[in-house]
Amino acid sequence: MKLYAYCLVEDVGALEATPLGISGAPVRLLEMDEFAVLVSDFNTETVAVSRENALAHAAVVRSVLDRTTPLPFRFGTVVTEQQLRSYISARKPALQTRFALLRGCVEMSVKIIRELSRANSAHAEITSGTTFLQEKQREIRGSEQSAAEAKDISTWLQDQVKALTRDEQVIVRPSEKLVVAAAHLVERAKIPQYKETLAAAREKRSELHFLVSGPWPPYSFANIELEFKSQFRVS
Amino acid sequence: MSSSFDQMIVTEEWDSTDLSLLETLDHVLNRGLVIAGEITISVADIDLIFVGLNVLVSSVETAHEVLRKRQTE
Amino acid sequence: MELSPENPLSAEPEIETSHPEEFVEQLRCVTDSLPSRINIDAEGVEQGLAKLVLTLIEFIRRLLEKQAVRRMEGGDLSPEQIEELGLALMKLEAKLHELKTQFGLTDEDLNLDLGPIGRLI
Repeated sequence: MKLYAYCLVEDVGALEATPLGISGAPVRLLEMDEFAVLVSDFNTETVAVSRENALAHAAVVRSVLDRTTPLPFRFGTVVTEQQLRSYISARKPALQTRFALLRGCVEMSVKIIRELSRANSAHAEITSGTTFLQEKQREIRGSEQSAAEAKDISTWLQDQVKALTRDEQVIVRPSEKLVVAAAHLVERAKIPQYKETLAAAREKRSELHFLVSGPWPPYSFANIELEFKSQFRVS
Repeated sequence: MSSSFDQMIVTEEWDSTDLSLLETLDHVLNRGLVIAGEITISVADIDLIFVGLNVLVSSVETAHEVLRKRQTE
Repeated sequence: MELSPENPLSAEPEIETSHPEEFVEQLRCVTDSLPSRINIDAEGVEQGLAKLVLTLIEFIRRLLEKQAVRRMEGGDLSPEQIEELGLALMKLEAKLHELKTQFGLTDEDLNLDLGPIGRLI
């Protein structure tokens, strides 16, 4: 008997009304150690990556947000009860630490688009090995500048909200239009202030295009494996 | 970042203009706690696709099976 | 957004942007990167392997170019050495382009996403 796991929570007693989960299955709370897992029975071979299932997963995880801060599982987490128990008991300290970090917080998401600058000036004609390398040099300088600009945007964003965030996960992609994708861990009470601060900051950078979404359950901050790796310097 | 998806991943037709859905997918598909175990994901057609090196290896292994069977037919 | 009983945290997340189409275009990579069909017959497997191999070679090639430029800038290469190095790399670029064409792959296809390491190309 397999289970589809939605999220881990600190033991909160009974669930209130929870939306139906994957393939319309009912969701229940499975107690494990001092935690509990939201699960539904899973009988088929495969999980369909459909609009309905993705939204169902998101809705189930979100439904506990008023009462507690969950550790969301990635979509598609299908396990046996035994595997869950082993996983949890093996990682109890890391999970406790993670819950302590996330307690009382939600995730806000900021994505930034900027126009990519076209390569300036006409390309020199490549007539020799030397001009080939010189042209490469020019290209490399251009992309280094692009990377520096991207880093600047990312740093600027962090500076705007760092007083209001407990943690952040940022992805910078200098060669993409979507140059920065940031996830911010924000205490619930600070959400209105966070939104105001962002709104004001956006005004000052009209050359950038913003997408702000949230509040989300802390998907970007759930993974404990990275923490383990950085502690022991495993690359 | 290794993918925790197991080998049965397939795709279906998306309404990929729904921003709210895309944002939700970005969160539930790309993030979240990853647990080792049987994670099987499928989409409409039953096809094998590559997501990472792990999946590539198993696809090649499966493909060898298919090829070998063909030769004996 | 005011937090209130009418607007609980468990409500659907708000999404706020002045450029929805742009973000749709960029976020589509999430679903677009799940290709609609891949054959597991011999040709399909070759294609997948070629893509993997060429991506790695492309990565190394880019590194070689960067290193060559650094050496050139460093000033410890003679003009003849620079010329030879440039020619060799030029040929490598052309050869790789030929291979890409042979396998019907574009630069986009060779964009290997390694997560935190980021895009290689």
